[in-house]
Amino acid sequence: MNGLSISTKKKLVIMGRSGAGKTSMRWLIFSNYTANDTRRLGATIDVEHSMVNFMGDLNLNIWDCGGQHKYLDNYLNEQRENIFGNVEVLIYVFDLETTNKESEYQLYDDCLRNLAVFSPTAKVYCLVHKMDKIPEPEQKELTVESYRRALAKRSEMFQPDVFGTSIWDHTLYRAWSRIVYKLVPNMEIIERHLSNFRRLSDATEVVLFERETFLVVCYTAADADVPLDKYMHISQGIKSYRNACVHVQSRFQSVEVSNKFYSMFIEPFTKSTYILVITTDPEVEPAVTKANITAARPHFSDLAR
Amino acid sequence: YGSTDKLGEQLAERRVLFMGPPGSGKTSILSVVFEDTVAYDTLGMMPTQQQAAYQMVAGITIYDFPGIDYYSETQYNPPNPAIYEGDYTSLVFVIDSQGDFQNSLATLFSVIRTAQAVNPQLPINIFINKVDSLSEELKQDVHQDMQQQVWKTMRYENLNSAYVQFFLTTIFHDDIREALSRVVQRLVPNHSSLETILNSFCSKSSLDKVFLFDVTTKIYLAMDSSPTDPQIFRFAFETLKAMDDVSQLCIEYLPPSDDGMMSQKVTFDLEGSIRVFVYQVNSYLSLLCVGSTQVIRQKSLLEFNGSKVAKAIRQILPS
Ligand SMILES: Nc1nc2c(ncn2[C@@H]2O[C@H](COP(=O)(O)OP(=O)(O)OP(=O)(O)O)[C@@H](O)[C@H]2O)c(=O)[nH]1
Ligand SMILES: Nc1nc2c(ncn2[C@@H]2O[C@H](COP(=O)(O)OP(=O)(O)O)[C@@H](O)[C@H]2O)c(=O)[nH]1
Ligand SMILES: [Mg+2]
Repeated sequence: MNGLSISTKKKLVIMGRSGAGKTSMRWLIFSNYTANDTRRLGATIDVEHSMVNFMGDLNLNIWDCGGQHKYLDNYLNEQRENIFGNVEVLIYVFDLETTNKESEYQLYDDCLRNLAVFSPTAKVYCLVHKMDKIPEPEQKELTVESYRRALAKRSEMFQPDVFGTSIWDHTLYRAWSRIVYKLVPNMEIIERHLSNFRRLSDATEVVLFERETFLVVCYTAADADVPLDKYMHISQGIKSYRNACVHVQSRFQSVEVSNKFYSMFIEPFTKSTYILVITTDPEVEPAVTKANITAARPHFSDLAR
Repeated sequence: YGSTDKLGEQLAERRVLFMGPPGSGKTSILSVVFEDTVAYDTLGMMPTQQQAAYQMVAGITIYDFPGIDYYSETQYNPPNPAIYEGDYTSLVFVIDSQGDFQNSLATLFSVIRTAQAVNPQLPINIFINKVDSLSEELKQDVHQDMQQQVWKTMRYENLNSAYVQFFLTTIFHDDIREALSRVVQRLVPNHSSLETILNSFCSKSSLDKVFLFDVTTKIYLAMDSSPTDPQIFRFAFETLKAMDDVSQLCIEYLPPSDDGMMSQKVTFDLEGSIRVFVYQVNSYLSLLCVGSTQVIRQKSLLEFNGSKVAKAIRQILPS
């Protein structure tokens, strides 16, 4: 397993007009902020850099680029190489309430033109943000779809993935889980071991979460059709519960649910992960599942340092 | 006579009446608490035209009335005073903390005058709503100001102010559930026996705090009588929310035709010292126990006591 433990540093740039919600989402995903807290955020001055460790081996170097005009001009001119060089991932945030879609697209085009020059292999994600402002689900779908079509035409070289997001629900976690999933270096190995663990412990579903962000790292289910989206509510739910625990001067540790039909554990697993295990086989005692989790811990600790 | 006909439809014996000026937030509050509406989704809500009812456990029903504007004579049809009668009736009057105070108060007093004429002991709960955009300081000022004005006028008009209570509320915060809990508690059948049972459970199992919750609305119906830190309420609500989120994952593993009574036990562990134990009483009630880690570690004893308490509660509060 040599080579897996070499830590990788990846540059992730968040771009978009001022007020689009870039800093809000960064605080929500990577710190213990609530959606309400973000109302107090001021405009970002120039670029805010932050280094986030993810799954032990992966260091995300996040560039949150303040979106006021004066800064944007600078990014696209004097700073272009500095901003758009060595980019692993570009996240472009569209405020769906924008009054001038054409100028928004122009800015987006300018960014991608620079990206094509300095980081042609970067991966691009477009987030259509503040979806909570659209009440009807069908209308939400249509809006994202129209962005998707417009963006596909504009960025043939990068083929961006487009997600609708809002800080008020799980959609933000969904988008970010997808983004981060592609970045974890030894994902296939982790996935394989996780599904072995599920079979050996007679569990129905097992999910691995990154410990700080609670983003889903990977999952395995007896029923192969379970979608990743199923777990996004949990990421959001546990994070907001963690905030609640602060009010009683404590920290969330674990939760256990048992009833006539299933048992479920959410527990700290390795240094950088949490694990969720659901068991529906009435023959499997919760205590046994718990013992299995404990037994698997050292093995996974080696795997995902 | 027109309004007498309307009362032909019987109101529940145990009832909370939600009244107040139009747009003060009555329907928003009730849809956030009873229908799990996201607070932001209430922004486009239409004015209430027809009285609506929300059913709770133990036969308690909450009625949402169309907004009342004292100064506009058009289309204001005062409800039949008989609705205020009864020992298990409670009034919630919602006022917009950023609206026209004088107008709201005039409406409030017109309601109180009618209500106290038929029921001098009617609890009057004044929800000063939409405090989310007020600073902590301004909130206290608004509260004081409102309280002074209400008491002054009541004294002047010779109204009974012994049953008046004030709450600062907003649909953006779970405090709204605490306020509603306090209103509803008084209407719960056999409330004092419930409290006695919870007190004894609390001391026998060395717990810090025990609540009896309606799990769907997260309103508590009773709790032990030890003093409570307001933080603990909030924390209890948050714990139930987290429990919902977590159980949501397994919903597909429940048989479709079940009565919901699945003897569920949930334990939340917090770093160091706190444990929360949620013990199912029946398909809509749960006991939420907060204690230190050591105590709840003796889980078998706790479960044993819990099962006895649950049984007693099932007898006192038949579904
Ligand atoms: N309704 C809604 N508001 C949001 C959402 N995300 C962010 N906001 C709000 O939008 C405002 C601006 O958010 P910021 O994160 O500071 O915007 P920014 O993109 O970082 O702005 P600059 O730093 O100037 O580029 C804040 O008041 C947020 O609370 C969302 O999903 N829905
Ligand atoms: N900021 C804020 N707005 C609220 C609050 N409660 C209700 N509202 C808003 O007030 C408006 C009127 O609410 P509604 O429930 O229809 O009032 P009703 O006529 O008393 O039933 C809606 O746009 C709600 O979103 C609150 O606590 N804070
Ligand atoms: Mg910013």
